[in-house]
Amino acid sequence: MSTTTNREPVTADAVRADLLAFLEQRTKQAVDPDLDLFASGLVSSMFAMELVVHLESAFGLTIGGPDLKLDHFRTVTAMTALVLRLRETADG
Amino acid sequence: MAEPYAEAAALATGLAADAAAGWDLAGELPRAVLRELGVKGVLCAQVPPDHGGLGLSSVDNGELTAHVGTLCGSLRSVLTSQGMAAWAVQRLGTARQRAAHLTALTGGALAGVAFSEPGAGSDLAAMETTLTVEGDEVVVDGAKVWVTVGAYADLLVVIGKLAGQAGCVVVPADAPGVRVTRVPDPLGCRAAGHADVRFDRVRLPADALLGGTALPLGMLVTTVLTYGRISVAWGCAGMLRTCLAEAARHVSARRQGGVALSEHQLVRRHLAGLYVAERSATLACARASRCWDEGDPDLGGAAVLAKHVAATGAAAGAATAVQLLGSAGARDGHPVARAYRDAKLMEIIEGSNEISELVLAEEALRTWA
Repeated sequence: MSTTTNREPVTADAVRADLLAFLEQRTKQAVDPDLDLFASGLVSSMFAMELVVHLESAFGLTIGGPDLKLDHFRTVTAMTALVLRLRETADG
Repeated sequence: MAEPYAEAAALATGLAADAAAGWDLAGELPRAVLRELGVKGVLCAQVPPDHGGLGLSSVDNGELTAHVGTLCGSLRSVLTSQGMAAWAVQRLGTARQRAAHLTALTGGALAGVAFSEPGAGSDLAAMETTLTVEGDEVVVDGAKVWVTVGAYADLLVVIGKLAGQAGCVVVPADAPGVRVTRVPDPLGCRAAGHADVRFDRVRLPADALLGGTALPLGMLVTTVLTYGRISVAWGCAGMLRTCLAEAARHVSARRQGGVALSEHQLVRRHLAGLYVAERSATLACARASRCWDEGDPDLGGAAVLAKHVAATGAAAGAATAVQLLGSAGARDGHPVARAYRDAKLMEIIEGSNEISELVLAEEALRTWA
């Protein structure tokens, strides 16, 4: 198992905080964790891809195949759940 | 030179350097050449070694793509198409799908990626091709146009509407209901095998659907096209290098008014413009590829910027090169004549100049407003 910071345990709080900060930096507005980012028009196609790339590099993940679906990226809460699940799978 | 792409670049040089003019005039790439480059992993060089690829980084594959771009725009288009197909599989496919398709793509099979439709070019939301899951099958129905490599392809990676969103399916070109019609007289990249493809209720096992899932169309297209944009951009940088070399050699050797052309200030201005175009394209490409390799979320915007800088630079630069060479470069098959025609197409594909500008304006507002 790798010992990089990417593989140290992360908590839901930490993932959520990272994502909220990333979204705020990119959209220049505070975002509620349960806001539907796509329905709200906050996230463009380009930004959606950036979000995927950010999640992968910030948390040392690969999000591919069946995990790459809208519902997993719709809200900060959904993305947090995805990160925690994928890290658990990767560690296991 | 011991760059990781050196061997692949040398192979491409050996196959294409003396033959590319003839390929352009004939409008055809020899299958044997495509097969040889395919089985050696050169056509989609970022595929990892465990799937038969060379496992190059985006930066290294970019330099390889630029090198092929210096030799032949049609062959470089094949690299873009095959690489984009491989990336779609890698990104969207399951482990099993990756193993099957990536091994095929590094084993000699050729792939085209089908986005555009008769009524949906820049406005891909108007796409009408449908993917419908029926039991354990998926049915593909629709018409695609200008599929690069379409005429040579064994596999067609098709984007279509799926369950109110969009999906991506891998269709064998010989499946019943697939009809490939070659574009007979493309303006540029004449040997790249552009084709229109009809899918008449093509039934495939449901496993042909990558990841078995649907994504918003824009997100899917952006994901797949980002690879294509970076690849086209590097190819344009390569075209500019050829134009620069041809122009610099010509103006140094050719004399007018008792002096070398290069002694004329107006000629020097042209040369400076070409040099600026090549350097800016290369720098923008290198940045986009570094974003790719480092997982930098600025990737999407950096890819569009690189594509736009490189394509507009190549179109203008190739016109300059033809101007500088005069009658010496004004014949089909000549490297600058090919670049002139090929570069114009690069301002249209993988996001036209105008679409790129809309994306870049959005970035500008996000950053600076």
